[in-house]
Amino acid sequence: MASRGLLSRASRIKSKLQSALEATVVEVEDVSYQHAGHVAVKDSGANETHFNVKIISDKFDGQNLVKRHRMVYDLLSDELQSGLHAISIKANTPKEAGLSN
Amino acid sequence: MAATINFTSPTKTQSSRFFFPDLLGKNTTPTLSFYPIPKSSFLLPSISLRPASKSDVVIKRRHLSVVVSALKNLSHAELVPVPSESDAIPGTFPSISGVYAVYDGNEDLQFLGISRNIAASVVAHKKSVPELCSSIKFGVVDDPDRAALTQAWKSWMEEHISATGKVPPGNEPGNSTWVRQPPKKKPDLKLTPGRHVKLTVPLEDLIDRLVKENKVVAFIKGSRSAPLCGFSQRVVGILESEGVEYESVDVLDEQYNSGLRETLKKYSNWPTFPQIFVNGELIGGCDILSSMYEKGELKDLLKK
Repeated sequence: MASRGLLSRASRIKSKLQSALEATVVEVEDVSYQHAGHVAVKDSGANETHFNVKIISDKFDGQNLVKRHRMVYDLLSDELQSGLHAISIKANTPKEAGLSN
Repeated sequence: MAATINFTSPTKTQSSRFFFPDLLGKNTTPTLSFYPIPKSSFLLPSISLRPASKSDVVIKRRHLSVVVSALKNLSHAELVPVPSESDAIPGTFPSISGVYAVYDGNEDLQFLGISRNIAASVVAHKKSVPELCSSIKFGVVDDPDRAALTQAWKSWMEEHISATGKVPPGNEPGNSTWVRQPPKKKPDLKLTPGRHVKLTVPLEDLIDRLVKENKVVAFIKGSRSAPLCGFSQRVVGILESEGVEYESVDVLDEQYNSGLRETLKKYSNWPTFPQIFVNGELIGGCDILSSMYEKGELKDLLKK
């Protein structure tokens, strides 16, 4: 993938989620620094390992939380295989988030 | 001094618990070993560590302006009957920190305690020893610092001893009627008998049996007594505050759960840890568990 290395993981995550989920809102926050001493990360010297992701998308409508999280994980499987360690996911529909359509 | 709140270090006192029925023969029921319960001297009251709920905070603010004066003497504090309905207890006693004295039906002092939430402690005592729990005196301690609480407790204890010459029965050494014992944490389950023992059953089948045979299973990083990841710690905290019986498996244990991380990811189609299963079904990771806990949905799920 040519884009890897040029863009930050955060922006890759954002664009993947944005386009696939036609999301109204995608917020991606790199919180890897909070986990710098984390067992699994400590020795590898890896960065861009932990992210908070907030997504608002109509595509979550009618899906339970497990399904919503799986949708996100599926879209990010490349990232998860290349050093992304954990994502904290908030997945809501516009209605749940109090946004009018 | 600190003996009643005892975060005993794990592992050494625990017996191993394996989840590998085929190789362990009749020893399939996991053995539980309990921590040795430290003998507390009577000088050591327990502190209830219940987190204050939102309503508690409101009460606390209201009280702050009222309770500015120093702690009353034990003899001057009002003796308040404990309502028979435990629902009425939080309305009768404050949900804030302080020292309290429990009296039986003959108005004999049974126990002196300190608490971060007096009402919750009274509820707990009323539930565990209703016959000794007729009325309460309490003194709010504005500064919930343990030293301040202990100081307040000491002053009441000294007052009682100088008046009666004795220690309340519940505070005598070895009496465990009132003191909440340190949580007896179960050891984590181990999936295999060791990495060098060839499995006769695929690891995936072991996972499948484990989650189906146990109501709640948490696959976490680190042990339940010392989780090694913030999310796992949160999961353990939530399950324990729900008071739910659960099994835990340390996915980082390379000795006994070797290969578990990769196999479990495939089994559950979930790429991260922790993972929580209820009734054989993945309910999600830390985010979902937290969200269900906050919405009160977790309780319902665990009841099923």
